[in-house]
Amino acid sequence: MIDMVQFSEDKLAKVNEIIARYPEGKQKSALLPLLHLAQENFGGWLSAETMDYVASLLQIEPIEVYEVATFYSMYHTKPVGKYVFEVCQTGPCMLNGSDHIIAYISQTLGIKPGETTADGLFTLKTAECLGACGYAPMMQLGKHYREHLTKEKVDSIIAECRTAAAANN
Amino acid sequence: MGRKLLLEKAHVEGIRYFDVYRREGGYRSVEKALKTMTQDEIVEEVKKSGLRGRGGAGFPAGMKWGFIAKPEGVPRHLVCNADESEPGTFKDRYLMEFIPHLLIEGLIVASYALGSHDTYIYIRGEYAWIPDILEQAIAEAKANGFLGKNILGTGFDCEIYVHRGAGAYICGEETALIESLEGKRGNPRIKPPFPAIKGAWGRPTVVNNVETLAAVVPIINEGGEEFAKIGVGKSTGTKLISACGNINKPGVYEIDMTISVEEFIYSDEYCGGIPNGKRLKACIPGGSSVPILPANLLLKTAKGETRYMNYESLSDGGFATGSMMGSGGFIVLDEDQCVVRNTYSLARFYRHESCGQCSPCREGTGWMEKVLLRLEKGEGKISDIDLLWDIQSKIEGNTICPLGDAASWPVAAAIRHFRDEFEWHVTHAAEAQTRNYGLAHYADAIHVPV
Repeated sequence: MIDMVQFSEDKLAKVNEIIARYPEGKQKSALLPLLHLAQENFGGWLSAETMDYVASLLQIEPIEVYEVATFYSMYHTKPVGKYVFEVCQTGPCMLNGSDHIIAYISQTLGIKPGETTADGLFTLKTAECLGACGYAPMMQLGKHYREHLTKEKVDSIIAECRTAAAANN
Repeated sequence: MGRKLLLEKAHVEGIRYFDVYRREGGYRSVEKALKTMTQDEIVEEVKKSGLRGRGGAGFPAGMKWGFIAKPEGVPRHLVCNADESEPGTFKDRYLMEFIPHLLIEGLIVASYALGSHDTYIYIRGEYAWIPDILEQAIAEAKANGFLGKNILGTGFDCEIYVHRGAGAYICGEETALIESLEGKRGNPRIKPPFPAIKGAWGRPTVVNNVETLAAVVPIINEGGEEFAKIGVGKSTGTKLISACGNINKPGVYEIDMTISVEEFIYSDEYCGGIPNGKRLKACIPGGSSVPILPANLLLKTAKGETRYMNYESLSDGGFATGSMMGSGGFIVLDEDQCVVRNTYSLARFYRHESCGQCSPCREGTGWMEKVLLRLEKGEGKISDIDLLWDIQSKIEGNTICPLGDAASWPVAAAIRHFRDEFEWHVTHAAEAQTRNYGLAHYADAIHVPV
């Protein structure tokens, strides 16, 4: 269950600080940063309710939020796992074996790209060039990159996530 | 070893912090520019330097600055393009991570030159940890009087804000970037009007790449003429190259554009050669959009001259036998790599990144991906190769922004130089899955298409 979609006082102060970065009357410019903030705060994805809430904060129409949320690849408009593995598959990563890494994660977790494990812990996604071509193969996990991936490294990342999830429960 | 202008101090302990950066001579250009130079003098200095935009297009930066409109009472903006997304390119990330104050310093000088009081850094959303680094640097610069109100007592006010994108290659195109900054989908605008006349929020705007803005610092410190003495011809100053693919030492290198491609690949100072004693098959020298070249045309031009790591030499021979400097994303393919497969991977990228606004690009990128996939899987026909050529030729030049061209060029170049490999995928479908074709052919004689 997702709690009611409403930023805390702290977060609302942050929202106002972000809006103030743009010219007066151009508060819509704050949409991308606010969607990042909303996604982080409301369950890792953007529900219609969350998007409507962001629209109300910026005094814009909900459709203006939906069309943006669906355009950019970092916004999830469907629920995702607690840990989202976004593995780059573009040219330079492919030359360095990203296909094998994707296949290995897929086999280890028992999910195909785009799917989430039954326990809701992991989502596997393929990503297009993340700007880490010299450190390939790689993936994004949360805020950070995991680079020079090997099967062993993937195993330890999965174990690390499981440990972190267990500690939080 | 060539001269370093940008990364010379990148590995000084603690250079990420203001005090160390300042002690190492940082922010001198701000003092010099704001206290001793007029806005026009700075623009002139950048013009004299010959600095070309480092994002990929290579347009002279000073000239771009010169275009900015200055209508009475309308604010102007400088926007830093840190939406680095061209496959093979990761140099701006390196610069921002290791020596963020260099970018902030360049931004302050450029903001003063252009009269921008509110300057934005548009950074790709996936570089999610870098805004913290930049915001820290901005806060430090502000605390020390280099940003904010009345900078260094000169009366110039300037704020810098970091704006995170959210995953869209197209936002590296300057008008799409502006749309995105305004909180919209990244659909490129029709030009004219150019951003210098009507950019962000309808105001005159200059959009410059991270590396371009960082290069303003040495230009102001040492003078445009000194900067222009480094390098060769119209390739002045230094260039950051991000090297990747099948090389021993992938990473970011600052070069002075006088070294040969061969030296860059094989010297231990740079890429350190190809792993496991493999031979060089091909290279995409300037980011995934620029034409791929077989080894023979990469190391020497069609005229048999040595090819160098600069704008002119890399494009020698035009698209028939040359390529481009582009963004400096240098992707090396060894003899085990398949050009059809690599081209398919890139086509998939462009299909994913097409904004969908123009039909030739929206439909064409998906179509090329589909045809390339069936060729790669050994399910294609010889006529598919001509079909691909036809599709790419109908995308190029027929779209609002250059993404259409960027998607066409890799496909065109792959067919131009490796047509026999495509054919072999049809005639030897099963074999094509397990081994490669034609290395000696690509590495030896110069093969000039008719």
